[in-house]
Amino acid sequence: MADGFYDRTIHAVRYFLLRRLPPCKAMAPLMSESLERPLTLRERVKLKLHLWICIWCVWYLEHLRLLRATIGARSTQAAGEDEVSPDISLTVEASERIKEALKRSAG
Amino acid sequence: MSKEQRAPARQRPDPTAWVDLHGNYLFRFAALRLRDRTVAEDIVQETLLSALQTYHTFEGRGSERTWLTGILKHKVMDYYRRVHRETPVSQLEGESFEHEELFRQEGQWKDHFEPSRAPVDWHADPAELLQQSEFWKVFNQCLSPLPERIANAFTLREVDGHSSEEICELLSISTNNLWVMLYRARTHLRRCLELNWFKRQPEKS
Repeated sequence: MADGFYDRTIHAVRYFLLRRLPPCKAMAPLMSESLERPLTLRERVKLKLHLWICIWCVWYLEHLRLLRATIGARSTQAAGEDEVSPDISLTVEASERIKEALKRSAG
Repeated sequence: MSKEQRAPARQRPDPTAWVDLHGNYLFRFAALRLRDRTVAEDIVQETLLSALQTYHTFEGRGSERTWLTGILKHKVMDYYRRVHRETPVSQLEGESFEHEELFRQEGQWKDHFEPSRAPVDWHADPAELLQQSEFWKVFNQCLSPLPERIANAFTLREVDGHSSEEICELLSISTNNLWVMLYRARTHLRRCLELNWFKRQPEKS
């Protein structure tokens, strides 16, 4: 009984906040900016509350972070020996063209 | 430093060997940052030509590849700067990437009404994704419809980890512009990868 009441209260609070707080559309750019700059206290509170009521935005933010981590990992690897994209390579024609240009410049 | 160690730097450079030794590496580096193959090829050529002219400054410090990559980085930056100075930011640029369609009128994600539009739950391990070349193919396809400047801003930020100030200077935009562009790029990519990669993957149970 007590649990049911608790759940209903939480649900009511969430619903109340959902109706009154800035919507996802305003939160999405803020989440992107949180990767760019430290958010202000006000923004942090707004976002925390929003993420508490909105699972979609939780996923959204998680995906943005995943994107960053994945691309970041790739570029670190690409700085060394990159075998991730073996299909990206200089064509024979392009290498020949570059060699020609170098020879002309050297000679 | 002994004479023996300095010796290789004094040798005449063999630029055609550079193409064989480092060509692919440099090209991949450029192609990751410039979406256009021909542009990437031209930049690699420009890099090697300029390396040939400034070979006397190399002096065998560090590896040849590192030195060439350093020059290439500058060439890529110069390219960005040149292209974006010529084309001022238009108000309309990237407007089709405002993602209005993803939200309901009240500003919530289109969730229960249109489950297909709201973010769905997917998890992935960056290290695992990294190994899947199929993923990167989809990733590149997703990146390609973005306007040039937005895609460049995203690449500079996420691939090269440049600071906002540097990117703004390179692309001739304001910080606010940059944040809007990054938001649009991320939202588009997230959505595109969700539809074309994550939803197509079999559920992990």
